[in-house]
Amino acid sequence: MPERPIGEILEDAFIRCRDLQAPLADRLQAFADEVRRLGPHFADAVDALVNRLVEAGAGATAPQVGEPMPAFLLPDEQGRLVRLNDLLGEGPVAIAFNRGQWCPYCRINVDALARAEEEVAAERRHIAAIVPDRQKFAMWLKSDAKAPFPVLTDMDNGYAMSLGLAFSVGDEMKHMMVSSGWDPSVSQGTDDWTLPTPATFIVSTDGIVHARFVDPDYRTRMAIEDMLAALRSAR
Amino acid sequence: MEMHQIRYFLAVSETLNLTKAAERCNVTQPSLSRAIKALETELGGELLLRERALSHLTELGQRMLPMLRQCYESALTAKMVAASIREGEAAPLSVAVSRTVALRPFTMMLRELSRAFPGLQLQLRRGTGAEVAEYLKQGTAELAIAGPLDEPWSRLDAFPLFEEPFHLVVNRTHRLAGRNRVEFRDLASETLLINTECEMVEELKARLEANGIVDTATHQVATQEDLLALLDANLGVAIIPDGASATNGFRRIPLMRLELARTVSVYTVAGRRRAVACATLLNLLRAADWSFDVRTAQQGRAH
Repeated sequence: MPERPIGEILEDAFIRCRDLQAPLADRLQAFADEVRRLGPHFADAVDALVNRLVEAGAGATAPQVGEPMPAFLLPDEQGRLVRLNDLLGEGPVAIAFNRGQWCPYCRINVDALARAEEEVAAERRHIAAIVPDRQKFAMWLKSDAKAPFPVLTDMDNGYAMSLGLAFSVGDEMKHMMVSSGWDPSVSQGTDDWTLPTPATFIVSTDGIVHARFVDPDYRTRMAIEDMLAALRSAR
Repeated sequence: MEMHQIRYFLAVSETLNLTKAAERCNVTQPSLSRAIKALETELGGELLLRERALSHLTELGQRMLPMLRQCYESALTAKMVAASIREGEAAPLSVAVSRTVALRPFTMMLRELSRAFPGLQLQLRRGTGAEVAEYLKQGTAELAIAGPLDEPWSRLDAFPLFEEPFHLVVNRTHRLAGRNRVEFRDLASETLLINTECEMVEELKARLEANGIVDTATHQVATQEDLLALLDANLGVAIIPDGASATNGFRRIPLMRLELARTVSVYTVAGRRRAVACATLLNLLRAADWSFDVRTAQQGRAH
């Protein structure tokens, strides 16, 4: 009998971790633990990739607190073009870079953002997610988390790349991901095998970065409480 | 990956000389080398075989080159699009569309583009497959939408959008109009309307021949409009792409064993700098969810 891909084996674990009533960091950690338990080789390869990215200083030059957040013009999941300025016209915004619809960590992250949405909206703040996935998959990610905020498509990781937030997956990881059932090339519509470094930027209405979280280790994301606090104090 | 790291690497790939590459990028050679070293660390292997006079790309360097070039272009485009957004600034856009491709599925994107760029000035050309390819080559069109182009030019980039099936279409008063399905043999006594300028005309002829339709009578036309006019006058039956048959007054009937479809793609010229409107339209087209009915342009939903 052919071996089931690890992505499939992990689906139950994923649902359990996603639905945990716990802080985002705990939910992400719970899933990372399951990956390590069920696919130790995969987890080792992830560690190696993350170490390489950390050593190379990946994401280090992305906009810092106090710097302007570069403008963008990206289509949302319904094909409407959205500008950063349009979003800022309605209040401070959290811009959350995610890797895609196929990524369990991103699904947990977007789910957590969606759960926080009510509180965010009550403060007249907003969230926008950015993925390199095409609209159909962006829509899937949005529906999966019942997210009310837009999920924007950054084709070929162009915007992420311009911020120094894109990295090349590399051959070893690529083969592991394909055999695990996690293939971003389908949702991205390109064979480049580049992914964005997950990152969250809280941008004030004047376009200045008020807070940021960038970590080449894609298993960690900005804590929801930190995002809420930063959004609240942003003007 | 940082844009400057990639830019330096691309310069070395073109000059094969670290000194010249550093000059071209307007940096010192140590900074250039340091940046490329960082890129190598991130990619997990050496990209260059360094020699003073002549540097070579390693096997990894060669393999990574197209991806890095693409990344660099995408990032430049993202920056340019974001920077260019000034109210009312003129945004010219020349698009060539195959005569057999209906415009309807694309009008939503054009509307969105015009909303984002109020200064949008569209120049829309129609042509045969060969003409469309020629427009791109000459630079008269920045972007084209067409079926398969029989064009060997290596600088043509094709991004497939959707599959468009062909159907048998007849006038509502035609003797076959009431049928639920039609066999090829039913067409033996019919006059076929053939658009000789359709990108798929050779495939269509081959399919007809393979199914025993050899010496049937034909009316040959050179435009889709003329084909539809003859169809309207009930001068024959036609096998045409899905999007072209959206006009009322005709009947679409499944033709058994036809199994003919074409891939509609968006085409651009590799390495040519794209203007903002063109770059944005290309992204809109590539990102779009094409799982919808081309004839009605009703958007499909993944869930």
